[in-house]
Amino acid sequence: MSLAWFLQNLVNGLSIGSVYAVFALGYTLVFSVLGILNFAHGAVFTLGAYLTYVLAVGEFGLNGLLAGMTLPFKLPFALALLAGALLSGLAGVAVEHLAFRPLRKRGADALLALVSSLGVALILVNLIQYLFGAEIYSFPSDVLGTLPPAVILHVGEGLVAMRTIQVVLFGVSLLLLIGLAWFIQFTKQGKALRAVAENPDTASLLGISVDAFILGTFFISGLLGGLSGTLIGVSFGLSGPYFGVAYGLKALAVIVLGGLGSIPGAVLGGLVIGLAEAFLPPDMSSFKEAVPYALLFIVLLVRPQGLLGKNAEEKV
Amino acid sequence: MEDFLARYGFLFVTILQQALLGLSLYLPLMAGQLSLASIGFYSLGGYVAAIMGTHPALAPLRDALGFYVYPLEWLVALAASTILGAALGYPALRLRGIYLALATIAFVQVFGVVVLNMPIAGGAIGIFGIPQPFENRLAYVWFFGPLLVLTLLFLWRLERSGTGRLFFSIREDELAAGAMGVNVTARKVQAFVLGCALAGVVGAMSAPLLNTWNARQGTFDAAVACLAYVLIGGRRSKWGALLGAALLVSLPELLRPLQNSRMILNGVVLVLACIYMPQGIAGLFARRKA
Amino acid sequence: MLELKGVTLAYGPVTAVHEATLRVAQGEIVTLIGANGAGKTTILRAVSRLIKPKSGAITFEGRDITGLSPDKVVRLGLAHCPEGRQVLALQSVRDNLELGAYIRSDTAGIRQDLDMVFGLFPRLRERAAQLAGTLSGGEQQMLAIGRALMCRPRLLLLDEPSLGLAPIIAQEIFHIIANLNQQGMTILLVEQNAHMAMRTAHRAYVLEAGLIVAQGDAKALAGDERVRKAYLG
Repeated sequence: MSLAWFLQNLVNGLSIGSVYAVFALGYTLVFSVLGILNFAHGAVFTLGAYLTYVLAVGEFGLNGLLAGMTLPFKLPFALALLAGALLSGLAGVAVEHLAFRPLRKRGADALLALVSSLGVALILVNLIQYLFGAEIYSFPSDVLGTLPPAVILHVGEGLVAMRTIQVVLFGVSLLLLIGLAWFIQFTKQGKALRAVAENPDTASLLGISVDAFILGTFFISGLLGGLSGTLIGVSFGLSGPYFGVAYGLKALAVIVLGGLGSIPGAVLGGLVIGLAEAFLPPDMSSFKEAVPYALLFIVLLVRPQGLLGKNAEEKV
Repeated sequence: MEDFLARYGFLFVTILQQALLGLSLYLPLMAGQLSLASIGFYSLGGYVAAIMGTHPALAPLRDALGFYVYPLEWLVALAASTILGAALGYPALRLRGIYLALATIAFVQVFGVVVLNMPIAGGAIGIFGIPQPFENRLAYVWFFGPLLVLTLLFLWRLERSGTGRLFFSIREDELAAGAMGVNVTARKVQAFVLGCALAGVVGAMSAPLLNTWNARQGTFDAAVACLAYVLIGGRRSKWGALLGAALLVSLPELLRPLQNSRMILNGVVLVLACIYMPQGIAGLFARRKA
Repeated sequence: MLELKGVTLAYGPVTAVHEATLRVAQGEIVTLIGANGAGKTTILRAVSRLIKPKSGAITFEGRDITGLSPDKVVRLGLAHCPEGRQVLALQSVRDNLELGAYIRSDTAGIRQDLDMVFGLFPRLRERAAQLAGTLSGGEQQMLAIGRALMCRPRLLLLDEPSLGLAPIIAQEIFHIIANLNQQGMTILLVEQNAHMAMRTAHRAYVLEAGLIVAQGDAKALAGDERVRKAYLG
């Protein structure tokens, strides 16, 4: 248990954990404003990854409707990431219009909204399969340009390797989280958003358009989803249109651990689960997938409101 | 005719099977509990049957019992699901609403991973070559049909019984029921365990039908499909699961000519049903009763 | 300035208000009195458009607002200070007030009005950085009124401003209401405390089980035997 071992796991855990946090935040924002979980979030995550791939690599895969097609341009990674994220934001808005708005206008209960979002997820994922095909998409190894693949530090007796992509993951996530926190805490629109989350009727009496803010929330949520999907896709490859499902469920574990509806909770939950996965002893690695859910289960039994949540209130 | 039976026989059996899974979700829902755990117990039941059907150590038992090994598999699956369901239910059912649903999702995921790591369950490949009691798949109607009829009868009696009324009172208003002296947690666990037990037996029956059994039988998607049956068919009626399963299972088949777009249309149906049929198909008929 | 014509309001199958017709002229204080559940708050919520009328029309300054969403109505110059204060408990007093000016973008004017509100309610200035949820009932009511003023409304809807407040504080609030009116603010006031309401208002409407059963000059109505017995006795 050397210092190098500890630092290596710390690096691994923080980089993946920060992406989990960004992804989970998408769920949390929608939950805090509408009180429901958007199960199409995982699909937008997937969509973002595919869109950024196509924008960065300039061509589609070998299967699917758009097989073999190429784009007349190829964007540098940073731009592709941004464009993919913005398009995902629009996808989030589309999800709101299709799955949630009609139900809201009819006063339907949360369970129907949940299943409706699952329906939209089904549509999206299969649309992706239809257009892009089901094969594995791997970002080319030079997608980050001329940066070295990793930085290797000598610590004590051992080595700590920080892959460039890990630095990118952590850096982008950190920037996003800080930006979002500043927006919500200190800007007029951010305060208006908090008002909508706290008491939509009162917010509308102040002249705040609740509908517009819900749309905006879905845009930001979609952006966060698409961005995190891309980052994970670059790290681990896109194993198929369903690769977002597992992460979607994992993100649920993150937000319950952190506390449903709590923004700092989503961040803390993401980091905790990322670190827990990283520090898992190698001989238990086949149980790695169970870690977030086991944690989720324990949290629900011991402290349902999560680490940073307030007292649990029933929404369904 | 042969062709028709061959193609649609399996479909019909699948509808019965999926309807039963939907009913395993309907049971806790009668007491107002949204549980997605059924699929985990379905998986468990299937593994029980698969292991009992293929494990070399049990060969003498299989030879001795012949066809009766199948009912034995169902009984063992029932017992295992009941015990594990109670063990899971008591702690989990102190949670309400979305928290309970999430806990059940978490259970299913953990169960999936645990099972993947148990050599007796065949790891990622699972168990294959499960012996079949019947030559063709339509004959499985003799398994699922009676089970469905029995279950519907049981539910019919349950809905009229004291226990059933207690379930409904908890569904309507849990706090009020508790205030009136109902042991809410015990009743919720009861409804939950009934659902798990049913799912376990369905799993045990399904293993020979599908011939192989692996962790892909117990995924989140499958759990969502069961939820969809109940919601679209009608969540306040025992017929809901059957109606929903009939529609959602046959829809991809009917749309088969559309190939790639089937699953997309499935999703569209789901969304439209939530918007325009919030009470489900059964709800359209039951409106007068309310 | 404000006119309701034959407005019927329902919560699902239950009709809360039947064909209400009432008017508020510029510069007046009009009060709606009546027992709990008579429909007073429902009428205010319809005017600020939180609920949709089943039938009838609402016009504000000549413009039909029956179909508008609440945030649009605020932009027309109508502010609603809701029942139960409804401050944004998780945000500071200052943030609450600034959000009251959400529809405005003139920073200097907003700062001026903030000063004005603090001048009106000095206790709020002391607590400017505190979370609104930590304020006392009376302070929250002041905050709610102040917040409503921040959008420079021409018509102010006040829903039960004295509810749950000690009599001294309630009196203070009514003084402020009268003062605001003297400075030109038109006010539609819903109150259970008929006594104070009748003393402050110019005209009154009496609501009983969703129907307007009496209307007229506030002092005259206060003298009316039936009204006295029912609400002032």
